[in-house]
Amino acid sequence: MTTKVQMVHGGMTDFNIYHGYPEALVRGMRCSFLSDADYHHLTQCESLDDIKLNLAESDYSAAVADSDNLTPSGFQGVAVQKMVTEFTYLRTQCVEPLSTFLDFITYEYMIENIMLLLKGALSGRNINELLAQCHPLGMFKASTMRSIPTFEPNARGFADLYQTVLVDTPVGPYFAMFLQESSEKGGGAVRNVIEEVEIEIIKSSLIKYWIEDFYQFCMKLGGDTAEIMGELLKVRADTNAINITLNSFGTSLNEPAMRISDRKRLYPSVGHLYPAGTAMLADVSNEEELGRVLELFPAYSGIWNIHSTGNDKSIDDAFYERDVQQLELAFEGQMHFGVFYAYVKLKEQEIRNLVWITECVLQQQKDEIEKFVPVFSFHAPWRGGKKK
Amino acid sequence: MSEVPPTRMNQQVYKGKKKAAESGHKLLKKKADALKVKFRDYAKMIAETKGTMASDATTAFFSLTQAEYAAGNFKQKVAEGTLTARVRVGAGIDNVAGVKLPVFSVYETGAVADNQSLGLVGGGKKIVAVRDKFTVFLNQLIKLASLQTSFVTLDEAMKVTNRRVNALENVTIPKIQVVLDYIERELDELEREDFTRLKLVQSKKEVAEKLAQAEATKLRKVELLAKANMPNDEDITAQFCAQDDEDVVF
Repeated sequence: MTTKVQMVHGGMTDFNIYHGYPEALVRGMRCSFLSDADYHHLTQCESLDDIKLNLAESDYSAAVADSDNLTPSGFQGVAVQKMVTEFTYLRTQCVEPLSTFLDFITYEYMIENIMLLLKGALSGRNINELLAQCHPLGMFKASTMRSIPTFEPNARGFADLYQTVLVDTPVGPYFAMFLQESSEKGGGAVRNVIEEVEIEIIKSSLIKYWIEDFYQFCMKLGGDTAEIMGELLKVRADTNAINITLNSFGTSLNEPAMRISDRKRLYPSVGHLYPAGTAMLADVSNEEELGRVLELFPAYSGIWNIHSTGNDKSIDDAFYERDVQQLELAFEGQMHFGVFYAYVKLKEQEIRNLVWITECVLQQQKDEIEKFVPVFSFHAPWRGGKKK
Repeated sequence: MSEVPPTRMNQQVYKGKKKAAESGHKLLKKKADALKVKFRDYAKMIAETKGTMASDATTAFFSLTQAEYAAGNFKQKVAEGTLTARVRVGAGIDNVAGVKLPVFSVYETGAVADNQSLGLVGGGKKIVAVRDKFTVFLNQLIKLASLQTSFVTLDEAMKVTNRRVNALENVTIPKIQVVLDYIERELDELEREDFTRLKLVQSKKEVAEKLAQAEATKLRKVELLAKANMPNDEDITAQFCAQDDEDVVF
């Protein structure tokens, strides 16, 4: 009689059986990131042709060789396509629960795509244009996507749309929760909600539900994944909360009536700032008060100081730096799923850097070109090296 | 030169015409000078605005790049949203020395910016900066457009005015002058003719009078001589002239 071996996720005994190959793939892909030397060459370029030449020596050689499109958005499209290809390959190679994990990563982009399609449908845009602008990582069945803008923009149509289409998509449950909350508060039908509430607020609410859902999933997995992903998601949630608060000053979200009802609803219920911090954030009405609240949390007081003092760096830059530092740490351990999430996010940062450099070269802004956060750089401040 | 009959009335008419033409010429010259001054002002303003516009454009587009770095691609979101104009351009008319120039003025419609929560999750400040920079850029563009349309219209008006001034100066007034001179000459000649005629007539009359006088004196002489040559026996009857005595009626 065999005793049932308790299979702990991430244990050294069984992780490699199921997930060894995908993890190996990801670690191999880690080498494809642009190195310090690459970044150095790119910042020295004088024109977009030079950039294409330099990229041809890096991992992007195949990608840029085919395209004649030499604009920054062209480069971005090509780079994103490359990442999507790699990701899809990874996805096809894995089994549960890694496949669910990777799907969770794509839900973020799905949410964005759906919002785009819905908003575009409201304004009556052409479906093909809308589809071309969707993020490729967040596509679901083409038939489903096509059918979204074809629904009539009236109350009946939206209710139908929701019941037939959205409910089947993986992000359907988030919509359900959001609509329930909104109708409790406002008592309006589906259509009113989508029309009246601004697209960004809907998206923020959906992202909040996604973060919470993802967090629950990781915690259920246990092991190293729960630890590392938990940390990453908490940081993500806090970043969102702080950004929402900071950027809501001066908009209608900052009015006292709206703060409790609407703004507070956008704060995710995971994260270091929850629950005490978010309760305090809900009452904040200007930057000073926000600063005071953040002083209580040492991790964020440093970032807040950069925002309030430095003119050179903005709070977004500070957040990006902190994110890159933590994501790089995910690669330090083994036997957990964090590497996959970190890979996607770091690739995103690299694409952002690439677009930034190309734009600076195009617009001849040589003094601003250094303002990006390189990935896996030897000169990163947390590696003890001085930034060149 | 041939059609105008050289009368005094015509001379008056043409004098009037010349005066009108000259005063018109003076006024038009004043207008052309005013337009030229305005033209140079506009040219200077346009050069200035174009200079600042180049730097405004670069800052505006660079701030867009920074915002995209911080907030991701938000261009689609702006394009897909409802677009109500927050800033509108009004067309007005400016009067410069009688020339109506089109001007554009900016006014806010007060419509609330639709995408206020665009950078809610990251990059919000940068997006606000983009909005500000592009508003500045837009104002510069509208100002430049207004200046350039005024400039073009002004240019046209100046050309027309200058053409009229030159036409008056080189064609109309000389023509009138020519006609006036002709009339003057003709009138003088007529006067001279009259004068000569009168002189001739006078001299002829004088001659005739002299002759008549000479005749008269001759007759007198003859009479006197006849009287002196009368017989001694006094012919009373010969002496008697019927007409001497009134009472005698024969």
